[in-house]
Amino acid sequence: MPFSPDRPRATVLGAFLEGWRRAIVAPVVTVSIFVATLLFTLPLAFALRGMLETHLGQSMVADRAQWNWDEGWATEFASQAQGLGRTFTHEMLGFGGTMSISSGLLDARPLAPAVAGAVVAYVMFWIFLSGGILDRLARARPVRTHAFFAACGVYFVRFLRLALFIAPIYWVLFRWLHPLLFTTIYDRLTRDMTSEQQALLLRGGLYLIFLAALMLVSLMADFAKVRAVVEDRRSMLAALGASLRFIRRRPLRTVTLYLLNVLALLVLARLWLQIAPPGWGPTWRALLLTQLFVLARLWARLAFIASEVAFFQGELAHAQYTATPDPIWPESPSAESVARPR
Amino acid sequence: MLALRPSRFMPALRFVLALLVVGLIEVPGAARQTTTARSPENASYSIDARLDPVNRLIYATGRLTWRNIAPVPATELRFHLYWNAWRSPNSTWMRERALAGTPVRALRDEDLALIDVTKLALAGTAPVDLLPRARFISPDDGNAEDRTVLSVPLDRPVAPGETIDVDMSWNAHVPRAVSTAGVIDNTFFVAQWFPKIGVLDANGWNCHQYHAATEFFADFGAYDVRLTVPAGWIVGATGKEVSQTDAGSGATTHRFVERDVHDFAWVTSPSLVEVRDRFAEPGLPAVDLRLLLQPDHRRETERHLTAARATLKLYGQWFGPYPYDHLTIVDPVPIFNEAAQGASTGGMEYPTLVTTGMRWFSPWAGTAPQAVTVHEIGHQFLYGVVATNEVEHAWMDEGINTYAAARVLDETYPDRFVMVNRYFGGLAAWAFDDARWTRIVDGDRLNGLRPFASADSLTTPTWKMRPRAAGVISYNKTALALHTLERVVGWDVMQRILATYYARGSFRHPAPDEFYAIASEVSGQDLTWFFDAAFRSASSFDYRVESVTAIAADQTAPASPAATTISTVVVRRDGDGVFPIDVRVTFDDGSSVTERWDGRERSYAFRYRRGAHVKTVEVDPDRVLLLDLNYTNNSWTAQPHAAAAADRWTLHWIAWLEQVLVTYAFFS
Repeated sequence: MPFSPDRPRATVLGAFLEGWRRAIVAPVVTVSIFVATLLFTLPLAFALRGMLETHLGQSMVADRAQWNWDEGWATEFASQAQGLGRTFTHEMLGFGGTMSISSGLLDARPLAPAVAGAVVAYVMFWIFLSGGILDRLARARPVRTHAFFAACGVYFVRFLRLALFIAPIYWVLFRWLHPLLFTTIYDRLTRDMTSEQQALLLRGGLYLIFLAALMLVSLMADFAKVRAVVEDRRSMLAALGASLRFIRRRPLRTVTLYLLNVLALLVLARLWLQIAPPGWGPTWRALLLTQLFVLARLWARLAFIASEVAFFQGELAHAQYTATPDPIWPESPSAESVARPR
Repeated sequence: MLALRPSRFMPALRFVLALLVVGLIEVPGAARQTTTARSPENASYSIDARLDPVNRLIYATGRLTWRNIAPVPATELRFHLYWNAWRSPNSTWMRERALAGTPVRALRDEDLALIDVTKLALAGTAPVDLLPRARFISPDDGNAEDRTVLSVPLDRPVAPGETIDVDMSWNAHVPRAVSTAGVIDNTFFVAQWFPKIGVLDANGWNCHQYHAATEFFADFGAYDVRLTVPAGWIVGATGKEVSQTDAGSGATTHRFVERDVHDFAWVTSPSLVEVRDRFAEPGLPAVDLRLLLQPDHRRETERHLTAARATLKLYGQWFGPYPYDHLTIVDPVPIFNEAAQGASTGGMEYPTLVTTGMRWFSPWAGTAPQAVTVHEIGHQFLYGVVATNEVEHAWMDEGINTYAAARVLDETYPDRFVMVNRYFGGLAAWAFDDARWTRIVDGDRLNGLRPFASADSLTTPTWKMRPRAAGVISYNKTALALHTLERVVGWDVMQRILATYYARGSFRHPAPDEFYAIASEVSGQDLTWFFDAAFRSASSFDYRVESVTAIAADQTAPASPAATTISTVVVRRDGDGVFPIDVRVTFDDGSSVTERWDGRERSYAFRYRRGAHVKTVEVDPDRVLLLDLNYTNNSWTAQPHAAAAADRWTLHWIAWLEQVLVTYAFFS
């Protein structure tokens, strides 16, 4: 394959920018994932909507509730609701919802069963799409739909196997490391603590340790998938090993790239803090802003993945994407003369 | 019949008797009765206590001067030893906490409390050692492992009106912060720390074991307490500090005195920040305020003081003046990790001293520390002055106070508060501006009532209630019931009820029937029906609109513009509680009619024959019955907007779920 002058430089910043470029020029992928994410929420959303409408019935309370958040009605609804209905609280609103979700993850709070089920299904869906996404971003050019899903199919089972290796590690982090940090160590150090500022610093430090562990596992899994697709690997154990070697040989730059992408997500969160719509106000505005935020998050995630792909391709000379089949020269004297110049 | 002959000594005798009545002559046995005594002051303490902060021990000696004001002789004495509740996991208090699903987690062996009485003797020329005969009893539940009540039989009963002095010594180990007392680092909050004599009344000793869901009950007295703590440590306590003396060995003795109080609590720490202020309001006596803050909370001084001033002002206007000229407000160590630090000592009341509760990061729109400050200072009136039995009738202080405090918050901070949730281990907070605080839902705590609405009636002694339900019944149900009463009789009448209750109950132990009687008397109506429904019953309330139907009166021409419609409105009582309510029916021609329903039958139909259709129906349109658990079903409209409301909030929920999915899928 001829050398491409457009091959990205293997610098962290270069890879980061290249990642965003590749994500921006793949709008169909991003929008499709966004639409799929929205569709994933619909079954539960319809169920909840039915509960809400039934509870309101022909009550005049709906006259107020259709315009403003009515805490009295919402708490009354949640008090008699079961399962999914209990997630309908003011904690879903605006940036507070984002805080609630982030805190829930970092504090290892269990999800409501219905929501947990949706998360599992969505994670499986994302594993399915990962092959196609990585293939598309590695090619850095448009692919047809059938090619995209063909790649999804090729790599789905492989990535399921990879998940079998990765999932237990996450399980250990949440079931062992998290309690060690936030129960054993945190309890011991705060037992006679009287200053919340100190406690906040301490807990912040423990969060950083936990996030670092999550990051390492996530980084390892990401590059395992990148190598699996770019190098067409069939063994996920080998892909994991290759990922570890890749990271081990350039730890600072891989981690820096990861953190740069995390920073981008934090910037996005900060923007969201600014624009998150209140409960009151036009529904169309709330819908627009919330969906734009979700779309932006997905775009940032794709840019995240793309930057890792670009960095890997830039680092390894052989990592030109080889998905394009080798040309088959036609049988003719002129073609033969081109192939063998004198 | 004997004829009484006038004696030449009668005028002198009458003069002496008059002086005795006025109290200008001290009679032995009534040592602390002066003209300024407002309470019986029959249980007075003089205590010397020394704190050993390293070993967390208190060594104390004291004298109790007790006068039997009951009409029955006392053949024994009974003392509360509250700290023994945290001595072992098998005490009644510990067992009840476990039953309530909130076991105490932070106590290791070295954190447990204890109070050991080392001396108990009747003072006099021939002291009588009472300690050998003292024994622990469990009058409430027979739990032999509970050591919170000490019974001391007497050789000679104490007759009604007689006074005795009891000398006592005790050692106490300060626990890690649990419930109402304890230590975290170098901050000691010390309450219920001395052998406290029970209350003797016509029915005998009212001296309950320490229960998880109840607080305390004691007689009034005068307290003179000398506390020796390390030099340089701040001390806050019940009463006024009258002296500080060097106790040697790097210690200082702080002396506090107070009259007409029924408890004594104190706090000491080297790190508290002291702020002094003064409450001054025309028509009310001035009060010196002493705020003891955690160093991290310095900037929250004004939030505390604003709440304190508002409470003293409004309670003073509604109930009556605060009768002491000083008040100490203690900001306790914040608990951000209860499993390790222990439970908060905040949110508690003691005579002339309250503990509040503040977090370093508390949004301005949140209720902390105002709500707890208002509530606890409110207790100075309801508990401190009107000293009801918190163990048997917790609603009389907690419930009435919750109701009044909610009103204070509503008036002082209109539209200020929103819901605040805490995240990341409770160390960060977010104010949800859309979820606004309301007096009914949040102040009176309607939401908390729902799971326990039928758990018990307010006539059940609080200590007998299920631990999880006791608080809700005492606080929430009472507050909502009283707010309902306010809407039944009007605020002006309600305020006079409160003022009369306060005036008559001050420095006494009023019983529930007195409150009920005062309400009827002041309102000028027999409110027995109200108290039967709301207080003497465990029933819950839920009225709703069941159906609204309409048929044409003339079936041959139903669509005629002049057609008359027969509308039937059926309202239903789903709860067991019965309460008379209004039903307002509005028609599409703009007319309306308000019906009065006694609320007794399970369902009742109202029929109307009109040229107009029913547009809306509202059961209890003015929302008088705040105990109605489900307000949504109280109304009906011919043009419902349930679909629009459901659509709007479902869209928000979708965005939330999308964020959940994307967040967790990040690690896939």
